[in-house]
Amino acid sequence: MTDAELFRKYRETGDSAIRNEIAEKYLYVAKVLAKKFVGRGVEYDDLLQVASLALIKGIDRFDETKGMQFSTFITPTITGEIKNYFRDRSRLVHLPRKVAELRSAVKRVSDEMLAESGKKASAREIAERLGVSEEEVVRAAEAGIVVSLDRPAPTEDGGGYYDVIPSRDDSFEKLESHDELRSAVEILNDRERELVRCRFGEELSQTETARRMGVSQMYVSRLERKILEKLRERMGEGAV
Amino acid sequence: MKELLSLRFPLGNEGMTTVRLATGGVCSQAGLDLDASEDCKVCVTESLLLLWHAGYGRAELVFFEENGLCARIAGEESGEGRACAEDEISFALLGALASDVCTEKREGRLSGISFRFGK
Repeated sequence: MTDAELFRKYRETGDSAIRNEIAEKYLYVAKVLAKKFVGRGVEYDDLLQVASLALIKGIDRFDETKGMQFSTFITPTITGEIKNYFRDRSRLVHLPRKVAELRSAVKRVSDEMLAESGKKASAREIAERLGVSEEEVVRAAEAGIVVSLDRPAPTEDGGGYYDVIPSRDDSFEKLESHDELRSAVEILNDRERELVRCRFGEELSQTETARRMGVSQMYVSRLERKILEKLRERMGEGAV
Repeated sequence: MKELLSLRFPLGNEGMTTVRLATGGVCSQAGLDLDASEDCKVCVTESLLLLWHAGYGRAELVFFEENGLCARIAGEESGEGRACAEDEISFALLGALASDVCTEKREGRLSGISFRFGK
């Protein structure tokens, strides 16, 4: 069966076995393209996965009646997906455009409200004016704060931020796997336990947690810090 | 048109790293961001592979500025070509990454490639 026949049959029947047959036939394109983008900080296996998904999506979109070779059609599609993947990864480091725009909107509204009333607006007031959540305003405000890792951190020993930023192992993930966790959580009161359950059991956002508990997002943020301090004390240095 | 760099070198795996490094330097000089620089390196490599497969023993690579960073790569010392199944992918990749991709042919055979990045 020729490629055109395969694609026509797939389009007519939607048979996933035919799609798999096409995907296997053109998997080499995904492999070739994934190799071309190695060396930009992403493992080959991850690139191949992105490329393979793009291949499968491309099979659904390809129109064999337009006379184009599938490999010619799929190459820009896969390339585009790989480039999107790189861009999304870089957003983990760079300030996302949406956050940057919100940050400048927060600044503008804050200045406007100060001029109008003569007092600084709260995050909630700014959120209401912008039609976004309070948490988004707080996050946007925090997102613009950039400090050098060498700058002294507000600690007693005067070390830099570089010294106090936790490693990946020093987070709640480690706490969760700690044998003492169960007994440590017992020192928390009902409200604090509810917060831990919402935030780290159900993985709700601070805003969602606040809504569930009937409190403000700022309260959740403060209570979260307090819980961490309590657990750190209970479990000893280096546990949290 | 402001010429930035021109190189002549034998085609083969040995020289690719050197050419890619030089390309990275030129991209930086031309003010391309990191992503565009990496894409430009891919395009230079693909062009050289295409010319190599077309049977050329050497290549001349010229970078110049004209509404962005432009590259023109021409094959030299013509020999026997050996078409590769991946050539079609290379052409499509060039089209996906760079602007104004042009190919030149001599006696029906690929002899040069040019493209542009940025601005």
